[in-house]
Amino acid sequence: MLFNSIEFCFFLPIVFCLYWCVLKKNLRAQNVLLLVASYFFYGFWDWRFLSLIFLSTVVDYFVAQQIFIKEKKSLKILWLWVSVIFNLGLLGFFKYYNFFIASWVEMFSNLGYTIHSTWTLQIILPVGISFYTFQTMSYSFDVYYKQIKPTKDFLAFATFVSFFPQLVAGPIERASNLLPQIITKKTFNHNQIVSGLKLILWGLFKKIVMADALAPIVDDIFSNYSTYPSSTLILGAVFFSFQIYGDFSGYSDIAIGVAKLFGIELLSNFKFPYFSRNIAEFWNRWHISLSNWFKYYVYIPLGGSRRGRLVSIRNIAIVFLVSGLWHGANWTYIVWGAFHSLLYIPTFLLGNNKKYKNSIVGETSFISTFKEFFKITLVFVLVSFSWIFFRSKTILQAVDYIQNIFLNFSFELYNHPRGYRMIDYYVLIMVFLLFEYIIRKDERNPFDFKSRVVRFLIYTIVILSMLLFYDDGIDRSFIYFQF
Amino acid sequence: MKKIIIRSIIYVISILIALEAIVRVFHLAKDSPTRFIDEFKVEKWVPNQEGYSVTGNRRQNFSKFHINNLGFNSYREFIPTKDKVEIALVGDSFIEGFHQNYDNSIGKKIENNLNNQVEVYEYGYAGYDFADQLHLIHAYKKQFDLIDKVFIYLKYEEDLDRGEYKVNYERMRLESPLNKNLKKIKLLVYAQNIGALDPIKKTINKIVVALKNKDSNNSNNNGNKIVKENLDQIRIDNFASLVNKYKYDKSKFILFFEGNVTSKIFIEYLKENKFKYIDISNSFNKSKKTTTLIYDQHWNNLGRDIVAQLLTNAFKK
Repeated sequence: MLFNSIEFCFFLPIVFCLYWCVLKKNLRAQNVLLLVASYFFYGFWDWRFLSLIFLSTVVDYFVAQQIFIKEKKSLKILWLWVSVIFNLGLLGFFKYYNFFIASWVEMFSNLGYTIHSTWTLQIILPVGISFYTFQTMSYSFDVYYKQIKPTKDFLAFATFVSFFPQLVAGPIERASNLLPQIITKKTFNHNQIVSGLKLILWGLFKKIVMADALAPIVDDIFSNYSTYPSSTLILGAVFFSFQIYGDFSGYSDIAIGVAKLFGIELLSNFKFPYFSRNIAEFWNRWHISLSNWFKYYVYIPLGGSRRGRLVSIRNIAIVFLVSGLWHGANWTYIVWGAFHSLLYIPTFLLGNNKKYKNSIVGETSFISTFKEFFKITLVFVLVSFSWIFFRSKTILQAVDYIQNIFLNFSFELYNHPRGYRMIDYYVLIMVFLLFEYIIRKDERNPFDFKSRVVRFLIYTIVILSMLLFYDDGIDRSFIYFQF
Repeated sequence: MKKIIIRSIIYVISILIALEAIVRVFHLAKDSPTRFIDEFKVEKWVPNQEGYSVTGNRRQNFSKFHINNLGFNSYREFIPTKDKVEIALVGDSFIEGFHQNYDNSIGKKIENNLNNQVEVYEYGYAGYDFADQLHLIHAYKKQFDLIDKVFIYLKYEEDLDRGEYKVNYERMRLESPLNKNLKKIKLLVYAQNIGALDPIKKTINKIVVALKNKDSNNSNNNGNKIVKENLDQIRIDNFASLVNKYKYDKSKFILFFEGNVTSKIFIEYLKENKFKYIDISNSFNKSKKTTTLIYDQHWNNLGRDIVAQLLTNAFKK
């Protein structure tokens, strides 16, 4: 079920009303409702893969108990490996099996040996498998690192794994944040609900107006890149930057907003990443839950930055490469990750990776300095460049696309594939950027304006924009569902 | 809980009112003229209405319509006489031309091509099929007897599904009091036009289909197969039936259609029976620029230029 579907418009109010009106005095019943709703939400896409979620839930529930019970460290590690192997095995089979086989065959082919690949399978990628396997693994890790005690409440744990707002595309929650909230009795909080509704509205705006409106343009440019001049190819990369941001951060906002409706606070996943002043700041603001996951469960266990510069550089490279691979079974994602590690490592070596950790551009004055503006632009250019690899179907296509930008340098006005006015989209992006800049200090309160009139005007404009840019002829699913 | 429900309702209503106002001020939604059935059982627009036809989310196509005294969209009144030379264009929405300014129609272009020596009357109405068209000509026989040439626009795949004329009461349901009142809500009209209500409609349709029992579906499918196999013959029979009933004047009437979407069997039939026709698809194919609008398949200005030129040429022959 998609957040932006008509089914969800009926589903959410029904679950909300049952949660707060019928079952509000019984936490266990509320959790049963959340679990049933979550399984229904996921099963609406394909009920067969519910078995995978359930299996993952059972394994990690049991494994965490064993990790906690065992006193010997070696046994604890052994059980931790059971969780890791099971979850990564699940992920590896459904997501990477064909990729590894195809890459293996191709490698031999390049060496002059022909292998007729008969081992690839017709496998459907279960939606959200990368997200919920990482979430369940985080639970086993947290128990191992004694961040939390394992829960004995299987129902609460199953709800934690399958909590529908963040089940299919995150944010990937750490058990230490989400699980205690699930087992705590909740009271109806008017402000929290209103805040949730506002985030849902803002998320829908990002998805419908930014991502869906730009999608046909990006699809056209990336599909026919060989026929377009460099100016159009640059436009395609820039528009994709906004499309993927609108799509993914829009989803995250809706997820956080929906969770708020049930009295649960999820972690922020995006904090205005395109206002970053260096690449390290970008990664502190983009897909934060995944960055944190890799930080806590890969980077730090590998030694983090405590074992000298060389080991640190190795660890950073590993994290980015694995992060790239996590996004999809394609070399394009790995190159994308590698490119980001190349950008990140100099920042790290110069000691600038924590420079902007707790600050935002224009911290003290509304208008940023020219220097900051230049840095933001530079980071945006680099990130947009990296998205070319992310968006292309193959490495060759990405390289070809980039080559065409530099070798075929010419300017031509781009016409929308359906003949729409392009000026509308340029204005849209400018207004969006301006608004994001205004609200840049608090990603969880996009409409935090004192004046009720201003708030009302903004709500009206946001909804009007959704109508003005609504496109009934496109695929409405979220990009990150494929990951 | 009560507080949030009340506040939500207040906000939703206020926003809807604000949106309705914006849609009206910026004219984002189309105006819907009223239709009726006259004493000759001809369905057409109530005379003397004006308004704007709007297409696209952001008013990408915006045109004015003007319904004349006879109930058709045109800049002129239809008053044929023996002294003047008149041409009639009969057809569906392509001839009706709500997608263009009423003074920039195919008819007006033909008049310009002929140096305003003729008057062109456009009997166009969205949804008209061949039965509607011949019934109209028959019903207004007195007028059409005075008109020198009649061009009939035919869409083979849509216009020959029936062999006799009956008033389309389905379409007249659009004029029910409920529908009329709903059309007054411009925000609703706008949302419907841009397809924002389609997901709701599709969901309702899904539920309706799911509720239907399988047996009726199977029998329908079998029926559809049989119909498809004999479609050409059925359409030709319908055409022949209508032509015979309304005493089609082969010397005065000329059909025009897009040959690339018309059955070759039907075109052969026309040739064999000496019906005059113009295939407009060749000229469309030769055009380097698109001949249709962005948001629908109606002819754009270039498309209308091409059609007007072809009809002008045919008239001159």
